[in-house]
Amino acid sequence: MIEHELETIDLNINIGPQHPATHGVFRMVLTVDGEKVVEVVPHIGYMHRGAEKLSEHMDYRQAIGYQDRTEYLAQFNAEMCYVQAVEKLSGLVPPERAEYIRVILAELNRISSHFMFLGAFGTDLGVFGTAFTYAFRERENVLDLFEEVSGDRLMYAYMRPGGVAWDVPRNFKERVRWVCQQALIGANDLDRLLTDNEIFIMRTRGIGVLSIEDAIDFGATGPVLRASGLKHDLRRAEPYSIYDRFDFEIPVGRHGDSYDRYLVRLAEVRESVRIVLQAVEQMPDEGPWLPDRVPPRLRPAAGEVYMRCENPRGEYGIYLVSKGATQPYRLRIRSSSFCNLSALREMTIGHYIADAVTILGSIDIVLCEVDR
Amino acid sequence: MTFPILDWGIFGVDMNVWADAMLRLQLVVVVMTVTVMALIYIERKFVGRIQMRLGPMRTGPYGTLQSIADALKLLTKEDVWPSTADFWLFQLAPFVTFVPVFMMLLALPFMEGWGVRDLQLGLFYIVAVSGVTVIGYIMAGWASDNKYALLGAVRSAAQLISYEIPLILAVLAVSMVAGSLNLNDITMQQDMVPNLLLQPLPFLIFLTATLAELSRRPFDIPIGESELVGGPWVEYSGIRWSIIFALTEYAGMWGLSILAALVFLGGWQWPFGTESWWGDFDFVYQLMLIGAKSFFLILVMMWISASFPRLRIDQLMAFCWKILLPFGFLQVIANGIVLMYLDDETVRDIALFLTSSALLVAMSYVIYMATRQPSREERVGTILAARSAQ
Amino acid sequence: MIGVLRSLAATMATMTRKPVTIQYPSEHRKMPERDRAFPILLWDFEIDEPFCTGCHACERACPVECMTVTMKDNPAFAEGKSKRRKIVDEFYIDYGRCMRCNICVEVCNFDAIAMNNTWSGHELSTLDRKDLVLDRDQLMELSKEKQIRPWVPE
Repeated sequence: MIEHELETIDLNINIGPQHPATHGVFRMVLTVDGEKVVEVVPHIGYMHRGAEKLSEHMDYRQAIGYQDRTEYLAQFNAEMCYVQAVEKLSGLVPPERAEYIRVILAELNRISSHFMFLGAFGTDLGVFGTAFTYAFRERENVLDLFEEVSGDRLMYAYMRPGGVAWDVPRNFKERVRWVCQQALIGANDLDRLLTDNEIFIMRTRGIGVLSIEDAIDFGATGPVLRASGLKHDLRRAEPYSIYDRFDFEIPVGRHGDSYDRYLVRLAEVRESVRIVLQAVEQMPDEGPWLPDRVPPRLRPAAGEVYMRCENPRGEYGIYLVSKGATQPYRLRIRSSSFCNLSALREMTIGHYIADAVTILGSIDIVLCEVDR
Repeated sequence: MTFPILDWGIFGVDMNVWADAMLRLQLVVVVMTVTVMALIYIERKFVGRIQMRLGPMRTGPYGTLQSIADALKLLTKEDVWPSTADFWLFQLAPFVTFVPVFMMLLALPFMEGWGVRDLQLGLFYIVAVSGVTVIGYIMAGWASDNKYALLGAVRSAAQLISYEIPLILAVLAVSMVAGSLNLNDITMQQDMVPNLLLQPLPFLIFLTATLAELSRRPFDIPIGESELVGGPWVEYSGIRWSIIFALTEYAGMWGLSILAALVFLGGWQWPFGTESWWGDFDFVYQLMLIGAKSFFLILVMMWISASFPRLRIDQLMAFCWKILLPFGFLQVIANGIVLMYLDDETVRDIALFLTSSALLVAMSYVIYMATRQPSREERVGTILAARSAQ
Repeated sequence: MIGVLRSLAATMATMTRKPVTIQYPSEHRKMPERDRAFPILLWDFEIDEPFCTGCHACERACPVECMTVTMKDNPAFAEGKSKRRKIVDEFYIDYGRCMRCNICVEVCNFDAIAMNNTWSGHELSTLDRKDLVLDRDQLMELSKEKQIRPWVPE
């Protein structure tokens, strides 16, 4: 007579902060029953540098560099959001040409950020570096262009309240067209390699489903929200800068699983290419890139402003409070990755360990932005 | 026709059987080490080119000395182990994984009648010893005192034992056709038609099971670099890691692809036969032939491993137990029926080809239906599909 | 199964293309003109003295406070050779701290500081952190001896 059944206990597995799958220093403690995940406890904060607090001790121009380092995969988008917040606060109006330069660079940065995702997602799934190198090949082209424009490969510090720091090089338009062409080649390669691969589909389809209600409740934005089926894009819903002048689609998924999130990003690469090409067509050849007489140290009137932009990872918001000094009284960053990451538990529980990794990859977090 | 080196020991001198075996062993070990180094280099170059990289370029012309440099670096590293590890299990596990691979090489005839030992039950022996590898995985995973390692060990136990069975069924089907378990006999029997044509389905099963047995991508679930960071081997470094990684993986790949070349592709026999071209030196072209065939198979494995994402453990098991295993059994049964009732050789061969091809088509259809995905439009909606395609 | 075969075709197709990587340390990518490495000081060859007057503008504007500048009376001004009343005495930049934001270049009234746009500004690894704190002569060396031509935005 057996009195007790064979007891099994759950195993705690610590993934991160040093782990190839965590895309930075993120730690999640999985409680697994065999291979099934029954509980996820995410731990963040390993990358906290106090970027918000640091910005309070800097004037408005100095803090631009910190935006790059906060959102280190979509630096131009983060800068653009920040400088637009400052412009709203101080009433600066950027010249036409500067707006076009900003939009082109921000959209190209969306392409490079999404390529980073596509490559890293392939690696999470176990493609032996092939997807990663395909993606990085094209990301490299974009970064080369950024270096030619701004002078730096990653930390651009190129946008300024009121415009951009200096003019783009003479062959800018040809270079942008070439980069777009290459980006489409890279997207096609990745498409052929992954999208229809049955192993890939089996590993991603129906994995990490986030319903549209949950996505809204968690405050998920960007591709995570759109993959769940809500057609919400700030470039359309609340056009900032000159986004109302372009014709583009908002790719929307259906099921909210990892596969849809992957495909939404792949589609957004192509949409961004469309936007960039239109912007290059419309961009004036000559013109100022900064309005005349921008004071080197801005001193906006007291007030507060919230600016939000559609970043590659979702809604990136900057909340600025000014008390009339040269430094912001408070700068607060609304991080898109943070909100998307909060849905991790909802998505992961009930899946396998291997899926936990791909789900985390499919959210496409930037840990610097999460921890700020 | 015979070789002097076959009859007179390895150096043409009559010698003690044990001494002869030891000398042949030495030769095989040397060839294996060189091949492993070459294979590591070739894989790095080949995968590099697939990924539009250059691969190793620094050490030696076009990086040809890279493997030697790596080996030196690994050998000179400090041998570390976790303080909580089970010392002897931890230290011995790499050898337990490696020795079966090495034992497998003892029975392979690299040219006509030349192996370390020509075993009557060679195929059986190889299948038997290669099953021991899993013990090394479990030893390593248990002894490392690491949860990743433990999970990897459990996964590898499930995977390696499962895929042993389709592997056995595949070689069993071929040995039924050949009527022998002696690898020399199996190869000699393929003088006209290689077993690949007679038994295409077992070949594919064998190739798949080989990838799984070697834990190579897309079946590297126990290793799982993006989730388990190396699985059972997560705590290993230096020479022990090089034994596992370099020797076991690549020597196993080499050995199994030579086995596949012998059993399925006609080894040194097909297409030229063993009739003398160059008199006593036709072992040269036999070696070249088997080298080319096994090299081709190895390249195919590398190509596959660079192209696919990793399967998940349940999908892997389902693939083994629901697809490979039933069709392996069906093939064995079909072979039995054909061999029982058909006596004429030509008719028998045609019947074998037809049954196996039919089963192959059936298996492909089952895989196709099982993994079939709705079209991209149905999967994600028309607009997204159109936007994501070119 | 068809998609799996398509993946194999995709990898085989890329294998036939030319590799995109280069042999980095032995082969350098061409630097764009605007490349921004770390700031260096410029040398005025006409008067044979630095452009920098040690006015602290860059030091105050630096977001990460990586600069230390002191000023002294210019001996050449007393001799009548130079129009600069004051000149830089000591100048330290901690390259380990600098975040290469280009603000020091923008605030400089004398075009005395510029961002290094050669590979020498990127290959700076040292064994000791202290070696990344460069003094005046080291900062001037590139402009004075190698005569690089940094790009300065209009």
